[in-house]
Amino acid sequence: MATQTISVTLQYEKSIGRAEFSGPGFRNPVAMARGEDDTMYVVSRSYEYRPDGKRITICTTDEDYVGEFARGVTDQGEGEATSADGALIWPTAIAINSEGNVYVADEALDRVSIYNQDGEFLGKWEKSGSGDGEWSKPSGLAFGQGDVLYMVDSGNNRVQKFAKDGQFLGQWGSKGTGDGEFNMPYGITVDANGDVYVADWRNDRIQKFSSDGQFLMKFGSHGSDPGELDRPTDVAVDGDGDIYVADWNNERLQVFDRDGNYLTHTEGEGTLSKWGAAKLDGGNPEMWHERAVAQGLEREKLFWGPIAVEVDDDGKIFVVESARSRIQVFRKQYPRYYGPGESMPGTVGGVGSGRL
Amino acid sequence: MLRVIVRISGSFSVIRRVGTIGTPRDLASPGFWQNVNVESHEKYLYTEGERMAEQDIALMAHLMRRAGFGSTYEELERRVSAGYEATVDELLNPEGQPDLDMDILERHFIDWRDMNALEVNQAYWTYRMINTQRPLQEKVALFWHGILCTGNSKCEHGRQVQLQLDMFRELGMKTFPEILRGLARDPAMVFYLDNCMSHKGAINENWGRELLELFSLGVGMDDEANYSEDDVKEAARAFTGWTITNPIPRYPYGRYESNFIYNPYDHDEEEKTFLGETGNFNGDEIIDIICKQPSAARFVARHLYNFFVADEAEVPAWQRTAPRDPEAIKLLEEEYYRSGYNIGAMLKVLFNSDFFKNARFEKVKSPTEVVIGTMRLVRDFTEPKLGLHPLANTIRYMGQDLMNPPTVEGWHTGKEWIDSGTLVERINFAADQLGNIGLPGVKDIVSRIESEQITNPEGLVDRCLEMVGSYQLADETRGQLVEHAGKGGSVTPGTQEYSQCISEVLQLIVATQEYQFA
Repeated sequence: MATQTISVTLQYEKSIGRAEFSGPGFRNPVAMARGEDDTMYVVSRSYEYRPDGKRITICTTDEDYVGEFARGVTDQGEGEATSADGALIWPTAIAINSEGNVYVADEALDRVSIYNQDGEFLGKWEKSGSGDGEWSKPSGLAFGQGDVLYMVDSGNNRVQKFAKDGQFLGQWGSKGTGDGEFNMPYGITVDANGDVYVADWRNDRIQKFSSDGQFLMKFGSHGSDPGELDRPTDVAVDGDGDIYVADWNNERLQVFDRDGNYLTHTEGEGTLSKWGAAKLDGGNPEMWHERAVAQGLEREKLFWGPIAVEVDDDGKIFVVESARSRIQVFRKQYPRYYGPGESMPGTVGGVGSGRL
Repeated sequence: MLRVIVRISGSFSVIRRVGTIGTPRDLASPGFWQNVNVESHEKYLYTEGERMAEQDIALMAHLMRRAGFGSTYEELERRVSAGYEATVDELLNPEGQPDLDMDILERHFIDWRDMNALEVNQAYWTYRMINTQRPLQEKVALFWHGILCTGNSKCEHGRQVQLQLDMFRELGMKTFPEILRGLARDPAMVFYLDNCMSHKGAINENWGRELLELFSLGVGMDDEANYSEDDVKEAARAFTGWTITNPIPRYPYGRYESNFIYNPYDHDEEEKTFLGETGNFNGDEIIDIICKQPSAARFVARHLYNFFVADEAEVPAWQRTAPRDPEAIKLLEEEYYRSGYNIGAMLKVLFNSDFFKNARFEKVKSPTEVVIGTMRLVRDFTEPKLGLHPLANTIRYMGQDLMNPPTVEGWHTGKEWIDSGTLVERINFAADQLGNIGLPGVKDIVSRIESEQITNPEGLVDRCLEMVGSYQLADETRGQLVEHAGKGGSVTPGTQEYSQCISEVLQLIVATQEYQFA
């Protein structure tokens, strides 16, 4: 009997969130980060004319609402955005350092705002420009080893490194299509080895670098077939080294192995979230009936604007959907070898333990 | 040898030949007139080549205001080089020009992905009209939107209305039957006019009535009624079963669009008599019968004339009010039949006609035309940035809440756009934009005039008028502008005072009555 390979699969777990301008829920979320224990921080960008929906929501992975901060309600009224300290206009990314402090990038303000884990404003970096330590339209943030902050400086088509106090440490990249070059890069992540992955958005590929910017690998090209990408917005890496890509214009999440080989993808399996059900129970009961008779409700499963992906230490995969104001949560089903003398996982007999 | 032409009270006259006396700009210098014997010389001079160029520019400016939302002077020059008829052809074939880079736009305007709210859609359409390289496609969508009306006030789903606009973008210059078929299947319209509530044996006449009255024939023409109450009922029967899918509620994740479906079990299969024809008609056959009516030809021709050529009487008066230009309407009606009811073909005849070319400034600009035309002139919002929602709201404050017309009749147009409140909005908005020397389009105008070394007040005013679209002012108004331009004494190109002087003249121009006309 020839050896067969079981492909990686993604097991859907649940959906988190609902569309709200305040309180439990999100409004056009663009990024999230896992905090301590089961907390998570979700960045809502909202509409321009509804700055009250711009905020960071703190909740748990079980959808217990903790609170919100940086909410864009201003003295000018709810229709007027503000650039006051701690406020958000066009937030793009969030990262949390080893002390639990929260860093949020804003591409309209060319600013990184810093808060403590409870949302109290601590300070900001604001250095618009193209020189070392300056940036234009920051769109991705990730902390690496030693609390080094990697920033995707999208407007300057490069990655910059900073100490947690803002000291400039280095940079790499320029505009282009070659190795180590970028075209409007977006999301970023750092793996357990300290290597850096960048969603090279308008080049439709992912690039991998060492922590000092040495080019290591790339994968992806424009298209919609498996393994191809159409404006990837974010990337995450799990403990096994498998790579998750928010394939934004293809409305899917793709999974690649550590070498960039395509493994699988999902187009979403969304269901009614805990907050979603509460919304219908608490004041909109007629919508239960409307849902019961709605045609095309299966569309609700599908991703709409999968803009960010995050993998936590528990192996949960979070996909943030900007156009559905929710997060779909998955788990990876580990691949196993089976062949002569081995049995499928969960059956009597030996269990292959090799990783692909 | 130069042919010298003097512009007197807005018209051009060849007065004499003179010897070689200098560059065209020398002719514009006041000192030149001391050596020239003419009776009237308050205006500056053109060589024949310049005169032709100015006339071509003025005509192109007219075309681009009507077939689009206006153009910068540089674009007008490029289009004049390409030629008038070639420009008309390009406008009529929008697919030849690139569409917007939606990936970049959706990346920045994150709410454009699902476009749920009305305001988000209004911002999107505003941006689209400012930046499109397919201006006639967008103008035609605006044209049909004002006639085949659907409003967000009832639909409560901006995306659904936007999808109707997409349909107008795709079908708007194809044939009238294709447009009406698209409309009859458009989920926003099916919901807006209650056809989803019209059932076999229990018709709702709303869609059937408006299809005839407001969307295709009009109540009457030449003092005759175009249809009867029985025709309304029979049309409604023919469209039973044309409905939409049950919607997904807005909570908890936001709306999804509904889709058109045909329910044969709810369709009235019995015989109908409609506009004198009898048969077991379905909706498409009703549309076919409608489109061959002389009143449909008149309806389309008058609407095209009213929107693209010159303000007509308000639509409800058309039954008893003859067309403003019967010959023009006749020409368009003939093309309607000759082309197989093709809107693009009718527009080609219209734009190439003398009646169109001679109808400059015969229309009051709609709020959309004021705002979009001004923004295209100053070249702001050419890339994603904050401030788009307030800009889109400006159109609303001037009286045109796009995608949300006051009734199914749309907006009253022409002089009814203007009242004391909206006029102030219009003037303040346009003057604010042209007064901003930092905007690229204003900078370009200043640089261009500066490079031509124009310093005399008359030259400055007239050149500014040309640069914003070859506007012509009443003599008294022009005189006031010239007086203002000269009150600070001589200004020197390259100085802040020079830029400021031009900007002030531009502000005064867009504050005139004449700027309110297209």
